[in-house]
Amino acid sequence: MDERQYHVISGRENGERLDSRILEELVQSAVERNRTDITVEAYGQHGIGGRLWKTGTTRVHVRVEGHPGQRIGSMGFPNTLIEVMGPASDDVGWLNGGATIVVHGNAANGCCNGMAQGKVYIDGNIGARGMTMTKHNPRFDPPELWVLGSVGDYFGEFMAGGIAVVCGVNPQNPKNILGYRPFVGMVGGKTFFRGPHAGFSEADAKLVPIASSDWAWLRDNLTIYLEHIGKPDLVDELADPQQWQLLEARRPQEKKGKQKRSMRSFREEVWDRELGNGGLIGDLTDLDRSPIPLVTSGELRRFVPVWENRKYAAPCEASCPTGVPVHERWRLIREGRMDEAVDLALAYTPFPATVCGYLCPNPCMHACTRQSAFMAPVDITGLGKASINAGLPELPPLSGNRVAVIGGGPSGISIAWQLRQNGNEAVVYDRSEDLGGKIVSVIPESRIPKDIVVKELDRLKEVIPHVHLQQDIRKSDVEQLREDFDFVVIAVGAQKPRTLPIPGNERAVTALNFLEKAKTGRFSPGKRVVIIGAGNVGCDVAAEAHRLGAEDITLIDIQEPASFGKEREDAEAAGAKFLWPVFTREITADGVVLTNGELLPADTVFVSIGDAPDIGFLPEDVATAHGFVSVNELFQTSDPRIFAIGDVVKLGLLTDAIGAGRVAANAIIDILAGRRPEYSPKKMIDRERIKLEYFDPRITSFDDMDQCGSQCSSCGACRDCGICVAACPQTAISRVDPEEGGDYEYVVDPDRCIGCGFCTGACPCGIWDLVENTPMG
Amino acid sequence: MLSDRPVTPSTLSVKDLPWQILWDKEKCTLCGKCTAVCPVNSIELGVFRKRVFQATLNPEDTPGNLHTIYHGLRQKTDPAYACVGCAMCNMVCPNDAIIPARSDEADKLRMHIDRGGQPRRRGGRRNRAGGVLDQIKFIRISMLTDPALDAGRHEFELRTLLGRILPPEESMKCLTQNGWIPPVREIYPLVIGGMSFGALSPNMWEGLQMGVAYLNEELGMPVRMCTGEGGCPPRLLRSRFLKYVILQIASGYFGWDEIIHALPEMKEDPCAVEIKYGQGAKPGDGGLLMWYKVNKLIAAIRGVPPGVSLPSPPTHQTKYSIEESVAKMIQSMYMAWGFRVPVYPKISGTSTAMAVLNNLTRNPFAAGLAIDGEDGGTGAAYNVSMNHMGHPIASNIRDAYLTLVTVGKQNEIPLFAGGGVGKNGNLAANAAALIMLGASGIQTGKYIMQAAAGCLGSETDRCNICNIGLCPKGITSQDPRLYRRLDPEMVAERVVDVFLSFDTELRKIVAPLGRSTSLPIGMSDALGISDKDAADRLQIKYVI
Repeated sequence: MDERQYHVISGRENGERLDSRILEELVQSAVERNRTDITVEAYGQHGIGGRLWKTGTTRVHVRVEGHPGQRIGSMGFPNTLIEVMGPASDDVGWLNGGATIVVHGNAANGCCNGMAQGKVYIDGNIGARGMTMTKHNPRFDPPELWVLGSVGDYFGEFMAGGIAVVCGVNPQNPKNILGYRPFVGMVGGKTFFRGPHAGFSEADAKLVPIASSDWAWLRDNLTIYLEHIGKPDLVDELADPQQWQLLEARRPQEKKGKQKRSMRSFREEVWDRELGNGGLIGDLTDLDRSPIPLVTSGELRRFVPVWENRKYAAPCEASCPTGVPVHERWRLIREGRMDEAVDLALAYTPFPATVCGYLCPNPCMHACTRQSAFMAPVDITGLGKASINAGLPELPPLSGNRVAVIGGGPSGISIAWQLRQNGNEAVVYDRSEDLGGKIVSVIPESRIPKDIVVKELDRLKEVIPHVHLQQDIRKSDVEQLREDFDFVVIAVGAQKPRTLPIPGNERAVTALNFLEKAKTGRFSPGKRVVIIGAGNVGCDVAAEAHRLGAEDITLIDIQEPASFGKEREDAEAAGAKFLWPVFTREITADGVVLTNGELLPADTVFVSIGDAPDIGFLPEDVATAHGFVSVNELFQTSDPRIFAIGDVVKLGLLTDAIGAGRVAANAIIDILAGRRPEYSPKKMIDRERIKLEYFDPRITSFDDMDQCGSQCSSCGACRDCGICVAACPQTAISRVDPEEGGDYEYVVDPDRCIGCGFCTGACPCGIWDLVENTPMG
Repeated sequence: MLSDRPVTPSTLSVKDLPWQILWDKEKCTLCGKCTAVCPVNSIELGVFRKRVFQATLNPEDTPGNLHTIYHGLRQKTDPAYACVGCAMCNMVCPNDAIIPARSDEADKLRMHIDRGGQPRRRGGRRNRAGGVLDQIKFIRISMLTDPALDAGRHEFELRTLLGRILPPEESMKCLTQNGWIPPVREIYPLVIGGMSFGALSPNMWEGLQMGVAYLNEELGMPVRMCTGEGGCPPRLLRSRFLKYVILQIASGYFGWDEIIHALPEMKEDPCAVEIKYGQGAKPGDGGLLMWYKVNKLIAAIRGVPPGVSLPSPPTHQTKYSIEESVAKMIQSMYMAWGFRVPVYPKISGTSTAMAVLNNLTRNPFAAGLAIDGEDGGTGAAYNVSMNHMGHPIASNIRDAYLTLVTVGKQNEIPLFAGGGVGKNGNLAANAAALIMLGASGIQTGKYIMQAAAGCLGSETDRCNICNIGLCPKGITSQDPRLYRRLDPEMVAERVVDVFLSFDTELRKIVAPLGRSTSLPIGMSDALGISDKDAADRLQIKYVI
């Protein structure tokens, strides 16, 4: 090429350096005039040899002598060959668009920055940031940079395409021909290099084996390169594939952060090795701390369902002073065991028909859970009335223990009955010829058919010995009984009517007195009666007086009358008027004079302000208070062998008296058996556990007992419906059939249960509870 | 609730609660997972009655009713079981049938969770979004006026100094006269703030420490973590990892006898000792680790019997003046490690911080001052302390820095700022703002809980039950049934991720300032804010 005729353009004129703009105009003008071989004598001018497109495809050869400035060959075209006859400054081939640039010496920083096409052949080393931001446009061949020696720091930053070849011949730093931190941000292209390096951005680039096609390319182009720099002899030294390595950009899918050790490996090989097995606290605990899922089973459940069948009393049972488990009777009805439902009550009360069916105000029904949602309570009275047919159970033989019961009223009979059922002999002492107390002697027949009472008493008389006392009991009698029997029970009731401390009180008839006489029809009250005290007994008086001919009946009270239920209804049906609050000044022959002076005319004045016990016969060591016998919760008096129950302890309902008999009987039975007696009735179930939504809310009355049974919510007692089994999302619940003589059970498979509480939520009876699992750790 | 139950003043409806459970009957498959996972038993299976009224005018038919039953999820309204909005139900729901939604009005629950006269206590955060830190912009983008740095390309080594840096002449004097100069640590500027073993679950704590160790040993980032007041596991005390740990001592001194017993066996000195005088999230309130979180493990580490409540009183006993408090405690703690370990106090953000700082400038042993602003989080505190007490960190740290500038010691006592850094997710931006306001380093706790362990707290009173040991993510629970939900390794990985991404973001902020190795501490000319009052108060540029 040296034989050609070169058109010389000097970068100096008249001893003055030409401005880069002037030199560019001179070169462009020469090319325009078809000068295709040009020598430029450079004096640091910028961008020499670029943009020489005006010859079209005709080749232009620019030889640069002297000292070219920065960016030689910038924006070079494919037709251009630039040959720098010595070293070059910064940014050789900047934004090269296809020129071939040969530098016969070293090149400074930024070599090939932004190059897109063309070839740059360096016969030496280059400075920092070579081959940065280079591209490969698929429409053209990739750009190439060939460096004979080594490259400076930060080589190939953000390289996006093209091929670099670093031959490692006489490198500036023989230990590292790729410089410091090369290929940061590299996304495309490749680099062949021959010699040692000190690392590169592994996140962006990777070493790959040199394929045979790569080697063929390198081998062929190496020759061309060496020819361009005039050192073809080096080909033998360089053409050893073993000496070369090839580095490529990672594809986006292969990009990775800095190669890091896995945390698992760090934990096992560094952390636990330094700290010991189990890591940070392996010495303090042997608890398993390995990961678990959010939803767990077995011992990892946070909550555990518990089948609390019959743990709590149903509200009916809990509110029944006698303690009859009413819901259990309905269960028996549901199971078609009518007879057992009837007989069951007899275990709790000697008067299942008389009291439950007729006389009791039925606290069980008031307490019924259904009431709490405005639903009609299950009606017990029908079942109560049906209990008249209850048969005596087979009784155990007598054990020899003996208890004296003073008083044959409801409480006395109750305790005697309970004791007998347990095989103890209980002898009832009463002044009356017949057992039954006030049920028989006082309560009007309007409220209880006589045959019912008689039938129930007959049932009992067979098994309860009765001693008919001919006179009032005395202290010495009690002391004798205490000698003769294991226990003595005081159940004499409240027999002493209370009277008013007002003038003329002797004119008044007490309710107790009247009702007793009324039962036998031996009293005529006249047409006009006034009853002082408008409670339920007062109402009974009113009804009885009406039956015996009274027409104008007035009940007066100092406060709103406390009467309710059947008694009140009967009194109102008899036309009784209720006056309150009024206060009596005196009772005269004409009637009752009130404190305001008004006279309530009356043929008979009744006083119905309650009865008090007559306890004068008690031994002195039996403590009393306010006219009643003092007892503990077991109805035991200050003499441990004397119990007291019924109205003699506290005025109450028949069912209170009967219940007291049961509690005291159980205490006596426990003591006789050598056990510490306990009063521990079951707690009442929280009504909110019961799901009344299962029941039809529009039922206001019940057609028959079967319907009652079906509508009973069986609070706290499993109705064996299987809803829990079906509700459990984990099929963890199953029903276990009873073993011989046992009861069925619903059980939870802990390995399936997740502690969701659906069983608790779905159970109509409130049997399932969800409790916290046993604490760990 | 039974329909005729009498209402009490505290009877609430679902509408009155802060969070309402939205349940979709159509989507629900009744799998039970939501009720099994709900941390506070807010939901239960309910039995619902469905009445179909069958009306007809056909004379041959009678109008009637048909009652059917269906089962579904029911939200409890008892304040004791109020939904906390954690949305674990949603997380486990296979059908996306359930989700809690924040009430559209102020709840009534807040007036009723003081039954028995006990005001509300909770964990979590202040529940106020916003804050001045997020409003601060970095306005100096000096690509041409300062050396242009590329955060992705250039090398950065962002470090700060913890320890008293004496001026050269004083330092030499100290060395020649006393044979001692104050110890100084070069550490990463983002420190994991004090969260105790006890407040945090074992798995959480181990995960954090493991992540910190990894950052140090695998990635060369000298990240430090403060223990909080609850002692330090004996094995950690005797390991080389101790050098990554800032041991905290506070008024309860829990675990310190175990630390003392470990002294002869320590392979390394701890990074520093932090004396906690106050906690930004609950200034004036002390630690409240309740007995049910004090199991055998916690008890062993704290050096107490299990099952007892461990209140850390809000004040240290035996210290009655600032001189006494600071000087006495700093001296004692220096002595423990032969004056080789920097000791500094941490106080809540307060209007009295300058008095403390002025005192420290006169004490050559004071290795720094950490100020904890009001927006920090806590495991347990009274509601009123969290919501209404404390000082914002921005002006407090600014005042402190300018005070140091006034006395010419701004490069001598490093200030560490904490309290709400990153509370809205902008950890690096908040940290950088505080650094440019004058902090040498940043302490963060809450952000780490969220980012490293998935804490569900937000600024809307979500979850916030750290104090009762029922953390649904197992972060603040001592119950293995809960904390085993958290894998220490995963926590450690997230700690690493958080610090790496923080580092990148911090570079992005400081690169345009031309900073790659020295932090722009106090470089307030790079800060701007569009709030004139805030600009004036912080002495930064007002930009609009």
